[in-house]
Parts: sequence; C-alpha cells; structure tokens
Amino acid sequence: MTDRAKFIASVTSSLGRSEVLSPSEEAADASTAVFENADTAKANADRAMSDASERSDTLTAQMAAMAATNGWKVHRAGNPEDAADLIASICEQKGAKSVLRSNHDVLSQIGVDSAVTNTGATLGVTEHDGENSEANIQDAKSAAFTADIGITGVDYAIAETGTVVLHPRSGLSRLVSLAPPTHIAVLRSGEVLDSLDELFAMERNDYLSGDLAGSMNLISGPSKTADIEGTTVTGIHGPLEVHLIILENG
Amino acid sequence: MKPQTINFRSKASQTMGDEEVQQAIEHVYTGFFKGRLVAAADTPDWEELRTKGKAIKDHTIAHLDYYLGLLADNVEKNGGSVFFAEDAEEARKHIIDLAHARNIKTVIKSKSMVSEEMALAESLNDEGIETVETDLGEYIIQLANETPYHLIAPAVHKSRKEVAELLDDDFKEGDRVPDATELTMMAREKLRGVFERADMSVTGVNFAVAESGSIALVTNEGNGRMSTTVPRVHVAVMGMEKIIPSIQDLSTMLRILIRSATGQRISTYVTMVNGARKPDEEEGPEEFHLVIMNNGRQKLLADPQMRESLNCIRCGACLNACPVYRKVGGHAYGWVYPGPIGAIVTPVMTGLKDASNLPAASSLCGACHDACPVKINIPRMLLELRYRSAEGSTDSAERTSSASERFVWKSWRIGMMGRKRFDYGAKLARLILRPLARNGWLRKSPPPISGWTSTRDFPLIAAGSLRSRLAKRRKKAKS
Repeated sequence: MTDRAKFIASVTSSLGRSEVLSPSEEAADASTAVFENADTAKANADRAMSDASERSDTLTAQMAAMAATNGWKVHRAGNPEDAADLIASICEQKGAKSVLRSNHDVLSQIGVDSAVTNTGATLGVTEHDGENSEANIQDAKSAAFTADIGITGVDYAIAETGTVVLHPRSGLSRLVSLAPPTHIAVLRSGEVLDSLDELFAMERNDYLSGDLAGSMNLISGPSKTADIEGTTVTGIHGPLEVHLIILENG
Repeated sequence: MKPQTINFRSKASQTMGDEEVQQAIEHVYTGFFKGRLVAAADTPDWEELRTKGKAIKDHTIAHLDYYLGLLADNVEKNGGSVFFAEDAEEARKHIIDLAHARNIKTVIKSKSMVSEEMALAESLNDEGIETVETDLGEYIIQLANETPYHLIAPAVHKSRKEVAELLDDDFKEGDRVPDATELTMMAREKLRGVFERADMSVTGVNFAVAESGSIALVTNEGNGRMSTTVPRVHVAVMGMEKIIPSIQDLSTMLRILIRSATGQRISTYVTMVNGARKPDEEEGPEEFHLVIMNNGRQKLLADPQMRESLNCIRCGACLNACPVYRKVGGHAYGWVYPGPIGAIVTPVMTGLKDASNLPAASSLCGACHDACPVKINIPRMLLELRYRSAEGSTDSAERTSSASERFVWKSWRIGMMGRKRFDYGAKLARLILRPLARNGWLRKSPPPISGWTSTRDFPLIAAGSLRSRLAKRRKKAKS
C-alpha cells in the first residue's frame, strides 16, 4: 500500500466505513458549490460580468469608498491624461528614481511611460522574453526589490471589500505589486465586481473551462501588522503606501 | 513539539501574577473580540454565513477520505507533489530531506500552527539550514526562543520594550523605547535581506480547495505573498481537516474566517496558489509541494463526540472570547493550540491524562460557542472530556481519578440510593466530623478532607435529618 492509500484508508475507517463514499449521492442537500455543473458555473460567471458593466457606476462608487477604508489612497481620473498626471505627481512626491510597471493594456493606453520618464525616473516593464534562465529570474527579482514604485493595472476589483485582483502571468510579475514601497493600481470603471461570490464564480468557471491562472492575489490596502502591542502599522513586508487610480469610462 | 500540558496550573499562576502580560493580553479582548462583534453586526447575513460555513465543513469532514483523494489528484494535475504524513515526525523528515536534496540554504517560514506541531523551524536550523519566521509576531517569538501565544497574534504578550531588546542589538536599559512603527521598520529591514536570498518557503494553508487543487493563504503582512513568489521551492503544510470542496466555497469561508479573526472585512492579502509557476511567468516557485498531516487528528475524527472540532478554521475567536484564556494566557495550555479549542484538540491528540486540567479550566459560559464562525459546540465537548477524565473512561491513559477516589464516589452513590443507607451515612459522617469541628464549622482537617478545608470552610452536618426532626415534633404535639 502506498502512503497515500494507507493514509486515506485510515481516514475511511475512522469515519466508520470500509470504503470511500463518494458524496455526490447526497448532492441535493449539500451546501457546497462543488456539485454545480459547468453550465451553472458559466451562467454565474456571465451574470457576474454583466452585473459589473450594468451597475458600473454604483459598484465603482462602492469600491472607491471601501478601498479608502482599507487604506488605499483613492484618486478619480476623468480621462487618461488626468490619470497620467496623477501618476507623475505621485512619482515626484515620492522622489522616485526607479519605477517598474506591468504591461497591462490600460497603462500603455494612458501613456504611463512618458509621464514617468518625464519626472526623471527610469522605467522598467516586467516583460518576459520566454526564457526562464537563472540570470533572468535574478534580474527580475533585483529590479523589483530596488524599484521605488510599482505600477499595475488590475484584472478586477471587488466592491464588497475594496479589493484589487491580480492574476500573475507573463508581463505581470508577482513582485511588481509587492516589493516596491509604493504600489499604484489603475482600475477602469466597469471592472468592479459586486462581491467575493462573483469573483469566485468566475474563478470556478475558469477552472471548469481549463483556464485557471497559476495563482491569484487579492490586495486590499497597504501591507499591515498589529503584532507589536496591537498597534496597527502599515508596511511590514509589502508596500507602505498604495494608490488606487479609478479611470472613469475607461 | 513535546506537550507540556501537565504544567497547566503552574504556567497559569505564573501568567496571572505577571501584571505586564495581563495588560498585554487584554488586547485580544479590546482589539480582536470587539472588532469581531462590530464586523458581525455590520454583516447583515452573518448568522446565515455561519450556518453555511458549518454546513460546508460538516459535509467535508463527513467525506474527508473522498476529498483528500480529490485534493491530492488535483494538486498533482497542477504539477505539484503531495506527501501524506501520518505524524509530525514523518512530515518533518520529509521536509528536511527535501531541503537537503534541493541544496537549500535559506528557508522563509510563514505562520503555520501545523509546522509548530513539527517544531519545524527549530529542526531545520539544527540541520544547518537557516530558517527564519517571517510573520512579525512569529519572528519576535523566534528571536525570544518561545512558542506562539495565540493562533493569530503569536507575540501578543510581548511589550514594546521586550521587542526592542530582541530586534535592536544596540538597545540598552534606560534608552527611549522605540514606538511600534519604528520597531516594525527595523524588522522590515532585517527581513528584506532574508526574503531576497531565500530559496525555499514553508507556508501553512488556510483552505485547500479539493476540486481544483488550490491553496488559499490569508495574511496582512505580505509574507505569504513573498513565500509564494521569491523562493525556488514552495512547501505548504496542512492538517488533513483544512479542506473545502469548491472554489466557490471560498467566498463564504474567507468572509467568516477573516471577520472572526481580526474583525476586518478582508485581510490585506489573500493568495490563491494553483501549483508552481506557469512556464510564461518570470518568477514564482519552480516546485510546489503539499504536505498533508494526520498527527492524531484521526482520533478526533473517529470519536463522534469530538469530530466537530475538526470544523475549526483556526481564527482564534474562541480564545479572544474566553475569560479563562485572557487570564491564564497561551503558554499555560502547554501545546500548539491554546484556548477553548485547544482544550479539546490537545487532550485528544496528545493524551487526556496529562491534559485533564485543560477542559476543566472553563466556566462553561459558552462565549466560545457564540463566537465560533462555524458554530462548534465547544462547551459540550469540554464537559464530555471532563466526564471521561473523571470516571467515564476505562482507559488508564485517559482517566485521572484514583481507585480510592472512585471507591469513595461509588460508596456515596450507593449511600444516596436508599433512605436507611442515607440516614446511616449521615450519622456516620457526623460522628467522624464532630471532633474536628469548632462552633459548627470545619476549618482545619487532616487529609483527605483537607483538600476541601484548605481553601474553604465546611459546615458540620446537622444532628438529625429534617424528617427525623419533623417526626419528633409531631410526637411532641400529640403528647
């Protein structure tokens, strides 16, 4: 018997059974979503997306309010130029020398690159050339650890919790939103989901259709700790300061 | 970790006599407990969420064998490897061997109670592999060479001054004590370097999703994210009960976990990991390993009275609510899991006999049951364990009562079951006790009665029973 078979067999016998009982037989009264089929999952995910666009104004307003309570510094930009100006002024204010950004579409759309370089800072883009050499990985790592500001778009936001959702992938490194002391996230209205239910409905649909990303990060404000005398301090391992720029009608 | 449950009384008195620690642990009440109440009140469907969370966990635990298989299949499908460890020793050995095989120099550890069961950080360091706790509280505890005080606030009992002494090599008695922000920034600086050079991480698991082979990690600090980003090898360790069936179930479970733990709507970071780095990513671990540990949990599972305790999602709400925990502190419980839930799982997992004081240290006020996000009936189980320890069990490894104690109670029971026997017993007791009494009270007495009279007085039994006195009266009235 393998370790796994032995382990599971002892669990089965602790449950008072002689063999594994598949739970699907009592699916009807189970509270878990595990028995919902792919069609239901797809319908749930579609509903989440259409809800996000139909109720865009309400959800964006709710997102802005919740994000602020989590410690995001929230800015509204009426057009791409305003967004670029906001980013430039944050770079100036932080005296940033080195800025790193993901290659989200929204960032090229608002012309982040010239806005940043005009402040005198150098700009790196977390692009991936397809080669996972040790040297490449080390370069990416040290770029992120030495950058003053990291800029990303967002995949979704969640109004219920004031959360920004990122799926790390080619062109969106895991570190760009984590290692630099300041993180700027650019959110387009219309990308805001109502709640965690909608997010995980979409994740489940992705999973069932074979599109689940390698990982997902939910970010809700600056890095925090209250481990010393219960006093909340921001910026222990992640960013000390996080800015959310909401681009209207993006 | 070797259980020290036998020392409950002495550890408890030590904490209760320490003014500074008493003040420090009050934060779990003023901060976490009250925060949870506010968060619950702000959540309109809070009770339904708890009911749903309980139903999800009840269902999963009832089919744990099935979901363990499903989880392992899916982690492997995602390219990860799964190791099933019967006990802490097997798990520890597996992780140490893996670290050696991959030529690991530096391990970063995120908070994980399961890794405390293995004393993992200590063991890795003993092997010459630099292993650093990265949760700030755990880091402080590691520097102090202690064990965690609380499930989610491991260093809640440490004052700023103590932290300064640990973090700042130049700190001297009489220096200005740095504030919490300054201390946190000192730790940030120290740990940044460790993150950059780490080549392996060990994290816990808040939820493992069976259908997709995912793990979810909840942190406020971001060390969980560093652990799933920087090192080449990521090892996640979990107790076998930490499973939920579906990705969709995460929304309910995260809501109740985080609100119950800190009173937040959501923690700063929630990270979901579905295996190692994808080929088109520029960083992230190359290898993902999941270690699933039993280590005595099957005793909880096989015991219908105790099975419910496996629903626990380790939020710490029962600790914060418990008037006993808030006085005796986390170290008194003597093993990995303190507080009301610890008073159930510790005795069952490590042996009831040495740990019999744990279930006894409760007023059965029920605050833990009210606070539990998955409605675990902790007081019911505490009572059951008290019963087993006193007389209900025939297992000498569980029962704490001595043969003579059981003989006395058995005689008492027999004596109370018949009128004549009762009257005779009362007379006998009066005869024995009268020479010891002064003015109708027993204040000092020889053993074994001294067990009572050393802390309280005992009234002398009346000369006759109410019935005999009434009968005498009636006789008098007639005559």
